[in-house]
Amino acid sequence: MANGLTNILEDWKSLEEEYHQLQETHRVYLQKLDEISKLQKNCSSSIANQRKTLKDVSRLVEKCSTGPSADDVKALEEIKEKIKTRPNAFAEMEAFLPKKNGLYLSLVLGNVNVTLLSKQAKFAYKDEYEKFKLYLTVLLLLFSFMCYFFVDYRFLDALLNFLLVWYYCTLTIRESILITNGSRIKGWWVFHHYISAVLSGVMLTWPDGNLYKIFRNQFLAYSLYQSFVQCLQCYYQSGCLYRLRALGERHNMDLTVEGFQSWMWKGLTFLLPFLFFGHFWQLFNSLSLFKMAQLPDCKEWQVPMCGLCFLILFMGNFFTTVAVVRQKMKSRSQKTKSL
Amino acid sequence: MLFSPTGVSECLREWEDLEKNYQQIQDTHRLYKQKLEEVTKLQDSCSSVISRQRKKLKELTVSLAECKNITPTPTLTPEELNAIADIEDSIKERAEVFSEMEAFLPKKNGLYLSLVLGNVNVTLLNKQSKFAYKDEYEKFKLVLTVILFVFSFTCRFLFCYRALDALFNFLLVWYYCTLTIRESILISNGSRIKGWWVFQHYVSTFLSGVMLTWPDGALYQMFRSQFLSFCLYQSFVQFLQYYYQSGCLYRLRSLGERHTMDLTVEGFQSWMWRGLTFLLPFLFFGHFWQLYNSITLFKMSQLPECKEWQVMMCGCSYMVLFMGNFLTTLGVVYHKYMNNQDKPKSL
Repeated sequence: MANGLTNILEDWKSLEEEYHQLQETHRVYLQKLDEISKLQKNCSSSIANQRKTLKDVSRLVEKCSTGPSADDVKALEEIKEKIKTRPNAFAEMEAFLPKKNGLYLSLVLGNVNVTLLSKQAKFAYKDEYEKFKLYLTVLLLLFSFMCYFFVDYRFLDALLNFLLVWYYCTLTIRESILITNGSRIKGWWVFHHYISAVLSGVMLTWPDGNLYKIFRNQFLAYSLYQSFVQCLQCYYQSGCLYRLRALGERHNMDLTVEGFQSWMWKGLTFLLPFLFFGHFWQLFNSLSLFKMAQLPDCKEWQVPMCGLCFLILFMGNFFTTVAVVRQKMKSRSQKTKSL
Repeated sequence: MLFSPTGVSECLREWEDLEKNYQQIQDTHRLYKQKLEEVTKLQDSCSSVISRQRKKLKELTVSLAECKNITPTPTLTPEELNAIADIEDSIKERAEVFSEMEAFLPKKNGLYLSLVLGNVNVTLLNKQSKFAYKDEYEKFKLVLTVILFVFSFTCRFLFCYRALDALFNFLLVWYYCTLTIRESILISNGSRIKGWWVFQHYVSTFLSGVMLTWPDGALYQMFRSQFLSFCLYQSFVQFLQYYYQSGCLYRLRSLGERHTMDLTVEGFQSWMWRGLTFLLPFLFFGHFWQLYNSITLFKMSQLPECKEWQVMMCGCSYMVLFMGNFLTTLGVVYHKYMNNQDKPKSL
């Protein structure tokens, strides 16, 4: 009907107007994108230049340290202080500037920029990482429970190991992205994901045989325990981190880890015995595997390799955790001395 | 070094300059963050307007169809018919324009990328970065294919260790997984990669994963040489493909005949008739080798001593690969043949 057509034509006209506005907005948007990319380059290069000049000036200041007058000395001290704090300001600025990916991310993702350009986006990404860890840990818990108590197929074990390899590899990718975005994750906690990925990969290739069957139950029980402790950790650590962040005592981009860190003394000390038990289980796995490697019928290279991986995991985890405990004891004894 | 009054004043002067410079940096950074916020608002506005327009366009199309059905054609004046036709054409064009616009707006990641990367935005926001990323992807494929060639050569002719084979299979799994990640990013950025070429990477990952778990035994040793020779041949053909395809794509792009985000693939596509037809026999030979692998594995699974599930699984995977590759390539040949048939008719 002509009426219907008239309505349509009117709708079309208003759509056309909106469309022209959209084209205009999009044009302005592309223009601003261009400006932003120029500003980014400008900021990055200026910061790089300042860093270089800062080094030169700092050397100059050192030379003139023995100043003649008290005023000069004071001025130089002030300058030294500022030079020390300047890198922090630069790090804060660079957290919002795009940067080249490290080797690992370049290999996997290529040149796509992974810097999240706002505090909320960074925080949301970190939140998502924590959720991912929690969900996958629960999944791994259920899976290893099933493999340990219900079914005994090498095929299902292979699936569990593939899931473990995928999980640890994905964690390493996401953690690299977090580090690019300003998270301060200590070296061992990242490295131990690579080791775990290698360990799961080697377990994957271990052919079904007598030795595999001997070790299988111990390995599955250990995976069960580890998933359980990681669940506990993720769950309690996020709560604790949330509280500490609200009190302003921790950095926004701090993460939950599979170990004990200094801030965890405030309420998470109960986790320590669980963690140590897990570490000693890793040592026990390692020793069992080395014993198995001595047996005459052991022809699989996987046995000593897994033994080595478990040993590295034990040593790294144990010594890192012990260091945290020692530091706490030292600071406690210093406090009582000063009182 | 001893102090000198000039030393200290020089220091202070240098510091003054540095401080001024630092202030400038802070100002630039503040301006930058401000513009970032403006840009984010513009992005949100553009995205919401585009989705609103899309919805309204759908409703309009429905109304137009109704309009044409209710009023039998004769009662509509020619101008009205023209107007309707114009609107319908514009609607079609509009959809294309929206896709082009969205190529520069951030979007939520698909399921696969969300699982692996999370919420980080992978849209590259200008044409040069997109193209540079695509270029990098092609180089990555080329370099890794050469490495795989050398590795399979080593395993086939030089050493015979299950551990080395396992390493080779791990490399294959990692290579195909990384390809799937990068291709998802490329698709997010506007590359049009046809379904089968992406899916075949998932199947290849699965196949390599299963080969990885195959324990060393009589059956494995039987199949090993055939598998490694096949990998050798496949790496060689893939290398040929990427090398010649990139050159061909470059030529066609400069003639304006292909989209900038088109990629090299492990198969034959319609644009390859211009100069890459020599690749076809190599490709078909590779496909039939996949069929041969599949049949060999199925025969092996019939043997009484076959207890490994990997044999059947690999057989199925090779079958899927053969059928997908062969039928897709055949589709391209058939399409060309039909075109050639039509041409003499129209002359």
